[in-house]
Amino acid sequence: MNQHHEVTLNVNGREHTVSVPPRKLLVDCLREDLRLTGTHVGCEQGVCGACTIIMNGQNVRSCLMFAVQADGANIETIESLASGPDDLHVVQQAFVDCHGLQCGFCTPGMVLAAKSFLEQNPSPTDDEIREAIAGNICRCTGYTFIVDAIRTAAERMAGEEAGQHV
Amino acid sequence: MSETRTETQAATQQPKLLGARVTRVEDPRFLTGNGRYVDDIALPGMLHVAFVRSTMAHADITGVNVDAAASHPGVHAVVTGAEMASQAKPITCDSLVPTWQATEYPALAHERVRFVGEAVAAVVADDRYIAEDASELVRVEYSAREPVASVEAAIREGAPRLHDGWEDNFFVKRHFTGGDVEGAMAEADGVLELDLVSHRHSGIPLECRGCIADYNRGDNTLTLWTSTQIPHLVRTGLADVLEMPENSIRVIAPEVGGGYGIKGHLFPEEIAVAVLARKLGRAVKWIEDRREHLLACIHAREHHHRLQVAYKQDGTVTGIKALLYVDCGAYSVYPWTSTMDTGMALGILPGPYRIRNYECEAYSVTTNKCPLGPYRGVARPAACFSIERAMDEVAHAVGLDPFEVRRRNLVRDDEFPYESVTGLIYDSGSFHEALEKVCRDGDLEGMRRLQEEARAEGRYLGIGFSCYTEQTAHTTNEFIKRGVPIIFGYDTAIVRMDPSGTVLVHVSTHSHGQGHETTYAQVVADQLGIPLESVKIAFGDTATTPYGHGTFASRSAVLAGGASLRAAQKVREMLVRFAAEHLEADPGDIELAQGKAFVRGSASRGVEIADLARWAYHRPEKLPDGMEPVLEAVSSYDADPGTGTFANAAHLVLVEVDPETGGVKLLRYAVTEDCGRMINPLIVDGQVHGGVAQGIGGALLEEFVYDENGQLLTTTFLDYLMPGATDIPKIEVTHLETLSPFTLEGIKGMGEGGAIGPGPAVASAVADALSPFGHVFVNELPLTPERVRKFVQQATGNAV
Amino acid sequence: MKPPPFEYFSPTSVDECVSLLAEHGEDAKLLAGGQSLVPLMNLRLAAPEVLIDLNGVAELARIDRSGGQLVIGAMTRHREVASSELVREACPLLAEAAALIGYPAIRNRGTMGGSLSHADPAAELPCVTTTLDAEIVVAGPGGRRSIPAPDFFAGHFTTVLEPSELLIEVRFPAHGAGPGWSFHEFSRKSGDFALVAVAVQLPGDGGSTGLAIGVGGVGDRPWRADAAEGLLADGRRNDELFQQAAEAVGAQAREHGEGHSDNDYRGHVAATLARRAFATALERTGR
Repeated sequence: MNQHHEVTLNVNGREHTVSVPPRKLLVDCLREDLRLTGTHVGCEQGVCGACTIIMNGQNVRSCLMFAVQADGANIETIESLASGPDDLHVVQQAFVDCHGLQCGFCTPGMVLAAKSFLEQNPSPTDDEIREAIAGNICRCTGYTFIVDAIRTAAERMAGEEAGQHV
Repeated sequence: MSETRTETQAATQQPKLLGARVTRVEDPRFLTGNGRYVDDIALPGMLHVAFVRSTMAHADITGVNVDAAASHPGVHAVVTGAEMASQAKPITCDSLVPTWQATEYPALAHERVRFVGEAVAAVVADDRYIAEDASELVRVEYSAREPVASVEAAIREGAPRLHDGWEDNFFVKRHFTGGDVEGAMAEADGVLELDLVSHRHSGIPLECRGCIADYNRGDNTLTLWTSTQIPHLVRTGLADVLEMPENSIRVIAPEVGGGYGIKGHLFPEEIAVAVLARKLGRAVKWIEDRREHLLACIHAREHHHRLQVAYKQDGTVTGIKALLYVDCGAYSVYPWTSTMDTGMALGILPGPYRIRNYECEAYSVTTNKCPLGPYRGVARPAACFSIERAMDEVAHAVGLDPFEVRRRNLVRDDEFPYESVTGLIYDSGSFHEALEKVCRDGDLEGMRRLQEEARAEGRYLGIGFSCYTEQTAHTTNEFIKRGVPIIFGYDTAIVRMDPSGTVLVHVSTHSHGQGHETTYAQVVADQLGIPLESVKIAFGDTATTPYGHGTFASRSAVLAGGASLRAAQKVREMLVRFAAEHLEADPGDIELAQGKAFVRGSASRGVEIADLARWAYHRPEKLPDGMEPVLEAVSSYDADPGTGTFANAAHLVLVEVDPETGGVKLLRYAVTEDCGRMINPLIVDGQVHGGVAQGIGGALLEEFVYDENGQLLTTTFLDYLMPGATDIPKIEVTHLETLSPFTLEGIKGMGEGGAIGPGPAVASAVADALSPFGHVFVNELPLTPERVRKFVQQATGNAV
Repeated sequence: MKPPPFEYFSPTSVDECVSLLAEHGEDAKLLAGGQSLVPLMNLRLAAPEVLIDLNGVAELARIDRSGGQLVIGAMTRHREVASSELVREACPLLAEAAALIGYPAIRNRGTMGGSLSHADPAAELPCVTTTLDAEIVVAGPGGRRSIPAPDFFAGHFTTVLEPSELLIEVRFPAHGAGPGWSFHEFSRKSGDFALVAVAVQLPGDGGSTGLAIGVGGVGDRPWRADAAEGLLADGRRNDELFQQAAEAVGAQAREHGEGHSDNDYRGHVAATLARRAFATALERTGR
């Protein structure tokens, strides 16, 4: 019953073929088989959003998918955004400048949710930002600086000069 | 000449980092997914653990059959409580307070279970999936005992005893009297009788617990990676229970995804995993899942208070009699003991007020629930809830504005240092000013206008506020008073400069979001006159960091910041001495700034600090006589007088209550906080925001619900609700900086404070929103919609 | 919380699904969006031996207008339903309800068929399909059959679907811009399951065709508030009548919710939401 399936996923621009039992969660496959540990497990219930990835252009919970379902999919994890600590994506840099993270555990999911949201809504109101990240729980920041970071990223992406938060 | 002056100005104009709003140096690795938490670590040959957990709240274990589980493919071992008992002592943590009754918390339960979720057996397998499959095959037989699932059930006459040999179900009974409470009651213009309850909830970090134990049979050493706030205390605790020499144990706390006090414990699972690794001679990993976390990690905050509040017609509170019960669950936790919440509530209940007549009976109760431990604020949220609600009720009783009642009771600036009736020394503070300031900065007048406009439209807005003072960075003398077995009297730092002139600082604390890599670096960089980027902070590995207590109790900035400061000062003195020798100047004339050591007023007479460092190690002949080639110093810091330094804040909130549904929406939230000198105001703001959000969660959403059989009903995030971005409004924070007269640089702690204020502030706002219907005493948290609806019905006499 | 083992199939056509179901029957579960099923599997509260993944059955994802009906395929995502111009125009109540489901990530994966088959009494789509008397089209070994929504839900998380059947599409009446409509729900926090939800469709012309009031969250399945509908059946519209109708909703809610400790509370919330839903719907009729 646990016979392995061969699955080919395109993750962060590279193709990977893995052999997994059907029940292996996509988040576990990414973390263990592909050693992409930036995506985190927080609840395995689809509530906290720590496992957020972008799959075929959509924000999805990777703890609620089986790896076998991702055969042929295009997946972006947090590792796709920056090539190194000195080359941060505009959303990531905004999080630094606005103190949008503390322990960092929710951060990869939050950044991807923000990035995916801004691609669809490039000039959101603060209320829209809060709705967009309502499915990403942060226990450390109280969200105020996260909202600042996403607004700042939006402004920067639109080419305007955002007043330095700090 | 002018060139020299410019050089001098440039050299001396290194902006001070202490107090600067510096963005965090640690952020990039977290943002790029490169933070390394326990579950990100994989060791060769590593196996995985799943625990079998009790489904009974209170029972004897009459049999455990592991045959089917042990023979399941992929399973390497199944261990029961009986085997574990021969391998590790139970966790004990005993208070020195008389009346203390002790518990033993075994790594795996082996004769009796005392809460649903208590670990009973451990399955080790090739992966977690298989381990869970096999754990379903373990057959545990229970003989049920009567469950004790509430304080009432525990204190009732004839209640079943959870622990053999106990005369009742109290871990501890405390009684305090100060002043003349009977006299105050007798002379009062009125006495209010108030019952209040804060229901059980907890810190719920986003990263669950987890650990990896690796036992090296070659040299009998154990390494434990664990998501903990207290690596050294875990190490010592493990040495005790495993009866292993402590120098053979290494504990490494990697990145920790939130703690808030919850991960400041030695856990039975950590012990079990260590034993399993020792048994199998391989690395063994356990990652807690969310269901386990809610069932069996650490619960917090369940307080039941009964107050009698004596007051005068002018609104002054003249005396308080309090009866406090804390539901501490099944076992005493290490290293705090089950006295922590109770003792702290007893001590701080009078709050920032001038109340000289106080009597308090406080009980830590044992029940068949998950053990209770300290969570951000510990007892202070419940204590603040009680005293603030009491103040509001006094205001109502005497017909005064609640703000005015505070003014008449708050300790004044000219009274500092103020010794409270319970012997706490409020060293300095801005109790009045913070309240005034939050009303201005939070636009109380604007809130009142909005409230009026809304009432005209048939909508119910309410304004609430709270004040508190919070003991922080308390050390030796305070913990001695508390009667805990380990006195958390200090923290320690090693500052080491290497030949290239960069600095590594090892500290005994552990950052789990507080930004220590930035804040301590600010302190050290200032002392040594080098750029922030040249200072790296390391923590978490007991093999390389100095012994200390970890991060909790709003103390790290003061204690580890202070220890770093002191150690950096010592290294500074070495550099100054070396530079003075080299520059043929008096050490008193040497300045360090912008990477240079130079003679004050003569920047051209200088030397690169990096050169000094290189010479110290590679050209030791250049060193002054008697100076060793060691640019390193260790210092600990126990902030005198050891009774802590008191931060304070005032919270102001505007809410809208829907009286029909009981829904509460927060429209605006303002805080004015005073933590003395801030190392980094950005970090301080972040800590306030996070604490406030958790406080709001406890005020409106979060609750562990047990039924009368001790079954936990809230075992997933579908039942235990966590506040999201649409539940928390923008949190506006302004600051005051009243320095502590006691600590280095006048820094006070503040990490917990944000969580203390919201409960009473939101409750008072809800009461205010409902005031057009009538007065109602809002005395229970969380304010679920159903509870709010009940308050509406009370206020209207069931008319609405 | 790892799921138990299962055999996995990913068919590409409805016929293939039907054969797989015929073969595996009781041992099989259909995997749609996974947002409700996978949490249960992770908790090991659901342990199907066979999982049939519908995500590759392209023919099941569609939004069409056909005659006087709006046809939504079973694998249409909530996000699509919420944002579709066609749905907003033909059946705005459905679009409004779909937009309220969970969070963006849930809506990206969750599906019409999945939500209805899961039959959570507090969920938005079961409430709306019941309110609108939608037709639920099901495929099985004997071909297709059509089940009116109120008959589809049989209790807590239970439908009348046989183990050999799968839901393939839902047909909604396409009233268009005519009637007023509204969906009001109350939950403890946004994105959470509704404690109570009320859906209202109010004919604009003062008539009774298309008048519907549905309630979710109270009782073991969503239900039509027929007592309240009766009060509004003759087409009269005034404040007093709406108040009475709201109270009737509350009374009927208390009947449905009998035995629950918070029954009175939910009844009151149901009446409150009904009153508000009437007001919104009335406004939208333009009168």
